[in-house]
Amino acid sequence: MTNWLSSAAQRGEAIHDWLAPRRQASLRLLQESQWPTRKTEAWKYVPINVWERAELSTAVASNIEAEPIEGLNSFDIVIRDGQLQADTLAAAWPEGLQVLPLASAEAARLDWAQATFAQVKPERHLFGLVNDVLATDGLIIDVADGARIERPLRIVNIVNGGSEAHARVLVRVGSGAKVSIVEHYVGNQLSQSTGFAEYSIGTDAELEHYRFALQSGEAMHIGGSHFDLAERATLTSNLVAFGSRLSRVDMDINHKGEGAKALLNAIYLLDGKELFDLHSNIEHAVANGTSEENVRGIVADNSRAVFNGRIHIHRHAQKTLAELNNRNLLLSDRAEINTKPELEIYADDVRCAHGATVAEIDKKAMYYLQSRGIEREQAQIMLNFGFINELVDDMPNAVLAEWLRPQLRQRFAAMEVK
Amino acid sequence: MLSIKNLQVRVEDKTILKGLNLEVKPGEVHAIMGPNGSGKSTLGYTLSGRPGYEVEGGSVTIDGADLLELEAEDRARAGLFLAFQYPVEIPGVSNMEFLKAALDAQHKAQDKEPMSSRDFLQAARAACKQVNLPAEFLKRGVNEGFSGGEKKRNEIMQMLMLQPKICILDETDSGLDIDALQVVANGVNSQRSPERSFIVVTHYQRLLDYIKPDFVHVLSDGKIVKSGDSSLALELEQQGYAWLQDQPAPAGEE
Repeated sequence: MTNWLSSAAQRGEAIHDWLAPRRQASLRLLQESQWPTRKTEAWKYVPINVWERAELSTAVASNIEAEPIEGLNSFDIVIRDGQLQADTLAAAWPEGLQVLPLASAEAARLDWAQATFAQVKPERHLFGLVNDVLATDGLIIDVADGARIERPLRIVNIVNGGSEAHARVLVRVGSGAKVSIVEHYVGNQLSQSTGFAEYSIGTDAELEHYRFALQSGEAMHIGGSHFDLAERATLTSNLVAFGSRLSRVDMDINHKGEGAKALLNAIYLLDGKELFDLHSNIEHAVANGTSEENVRGIVADNSRAVFNGRIHIHRHAQKTLAELNNRNLLLSDRAEINTKPELEIYADDVRCAHGATVAEIDKKAMYYLQSRGIEREQAQIMLNFGFINELVDDMPNAVLAEWLRPQLRQRFAAMEVK
Repeated sequence: MLSIKNLQVRVEDKTILKGLNLEVKPGEVHAIMGPNGSGKSTLGYTLSGRPGYEVEGGSVTIDGADLLELEAEDRARAGLFLAFQYPVEIPGVSNMEFLKAALDAQHKAQDKEPMSSRDFLQAARAACKQVNLPAEFLKRGVNEGFSGGEKKRNEIMQMLMLQPKICILDETDSGLDIDALQVVANGVNSQRSPERSFIVVTHYQRLLDYIKPDFVHVLSDGKIVKSGDSSLALELEQQGYAWLQDQPAPAGEE
């Protein structure tokens, strides 16, 4: 163990809240863990040492405000530097929706929360363990069986400069229920944060999910969204990520009941010296599940993207349909992409497809646009948009898609073809 | 309007145009015919500023200004339009977005007010209709999955919208059936005016039955070797291009 890990474990040992008994297993695993090196497969392309070396005391202070998204009409709940801002909880929630601070007596009485904590996310993700051990605050969301919640819930997770923050979100979507949840992460100054969310999606339930991993600059963030799908559950998940000094997101989708459907669309856009690492893992443990995963990335300048997409089809998961594709656009010779689809198939009657491509900007397309009077910079922005438009258009919530576009445009405008 | 003098162009290691001269005045339609490999497409690409087409000598001016100094987008803004022989597919960028961006860019360069979305949509639909392209094509990715004929009609549709001063049609007739050919020709003819000029590059005389040129030039081995009126096109149709081999360059050309 290194200093950072042992300090995390020590701090974790001193926590005695209602989740403490649930944290014990993670604490033991953390105490046995080694700091990853370049030889550690799961962290191979990520210079994880910047995390340990970070001197938060030198950080530039920041005070980011949570701006509402116009037209979204969402319940906005703010977690600032790992602390739930209780004043952002609504005075009254729609029928069938319960939202509680993780650190509350009521939360402690929820059996499902006890049973979900640390059970959906993978056991051995190093920073998942850190979050298990150190996240004492966060949010609990319960959508009752059959409840259809019209207004989206947006969790704005702000990490300001100089902070170390660990937040946890637990969500239960009851049988036949429907809800839309946006995890929105921001922060641009030197900070260290982990943010993990675990979702249990019930029989015939529907979850529309967004993770906007928009940390940038010096903000270091490692987190994940993890989903258990019961019978015929439907998940539509949309990830949009900008890179930062260190940024990693894990998305795990576990088909636990037959006939569930999952769609994961992910976009990452990197510039400068940014880094972003996406690990996705889809477990088809039972038969008749469907999963589709579309991952697109644009990397400019000196940035680096890592994508590791694993699909694991268990022996009894017959009639599984699983598709995974990862397409990347490389805008500079110095930018780097490490992409690795991993298929493990142990059932014989399945349909499974995967592919990964890395391309450069299409010079003929560029010339075609210019030949119509469109200047080079704008042509570039249009081609970048063209690469990801499909996934933005695909977002079930058009307000969120339209809210994103100007931000994407700004990103693209800063990117150069080299 | 467009003045090409002794134009010499190299692509990679090969010199393709070897001293081409052409004067195009407002309102004129010039046809350029010639065998494969004579440099017909090179002319269009060079004029529109395609990267990789190195001008080794000569000059091209548009309304007196040096065209070759301009970036591809500025040539378009100066009023030049090339209808591509092989229009490029751009998935994810809708035809409509593309057209609006092009039109806005050109209007801006000409200090004109941008077109309102409503006027734009109306004009774009009308242009589609004129070339017999369903309006749904505006929503599709630029040329994405279009048939050969649809791509050509999409080029003419863009021309109708952009209202260029000088239009170069690069083998717009290739791969078109007779109905599509008529649609394309009608589109072009509707745009003929005393201010607008056309350079119609083609391998076959067929298109010129519909778009009647004022002048016909024969391009061979990178030079114009013979010029005449529209009867020259018929002559070529009957005789083919083989006789060109022994043809001396006309006086005044190197």
